[in-house]
Amino acid sequence: MLVLSRRSGQKIVIGNEVVVDVLGISGDGVRLGISAPGETSVHRYEVFAEIQEANRAAEVAADDLENLALGNLSEMVRKNKDNEAI
Amino acid sequence: MSVITIKGKEVPYDENEVITFAEGLIGMPEMRRAVLVPIDEFKPFCWLASVESEKARFIVVDPHEVFAGYEPFQAEQVGDASVQTFAIVKVSSDWQKTTVNLRAPLVINTETQIGAQLILSDSKYQFAESLVQN
Repeated sequence: MLVLSRRSGQKIVIGNEVVVDVLGISGDGVRLGISAPGETSVHRYEVFAEIQEANRAAEVAADDLENLALGNLSEMVRKNKDNEAI
Repeated sequence: MSVITIKGKEVPYDENEVITFAEGLIGMPEMRRAVLVPIDEFKPFCWLASVESEKARFIVVDPHEVFAGYEPFQAEQVGDASVQTFAIVKVSSDWQKTTVNLRAPLVINTETQIGAQLILSDSKYQFAESLVQN
């Protein structure tokens, strides 16, 4: 891991296009401004980790899938849909 | 015509049906090229299956089939593009504990067949919303 020290108002650049700007520091908190191309996704790590976990769990669930469970769900969804239509 | 195997069943698909997720999905880099396979006997559920890795697949559902008022983004964010939205389903063997990820939906441009997993920040939608509502 590359470790850099920066002061408030200083920046780093990642690749050719991503710029991280240290906007301010107060106590143990730091405010960062991130400029990146539209197609680059930027997230708080916790959110990213949560989705990563959710995706993997869904993948595992699909692997153990029981048709009975899916059958019940399918029936429920279709019934609810019919009820809405009435 | 190519073929993938889902749960021992051969499913033919056409190359132009393949959806491209440029970066793969979060935590699943092998989900770059995938096909959507409706499960005829369990509508409206579908498989989203990677054509590159047999292990990488999900059950997905159009969230509007289940949550009629689901609006993950505003119309102007999509513009004129025709998009399809899917939510990843985590099926539980106790079927009533099944959840859907409404917070990070898959959005697919049906003209270009390019997809992405959106992360809705500051959203009322949950990562694990119960599919069976009381």
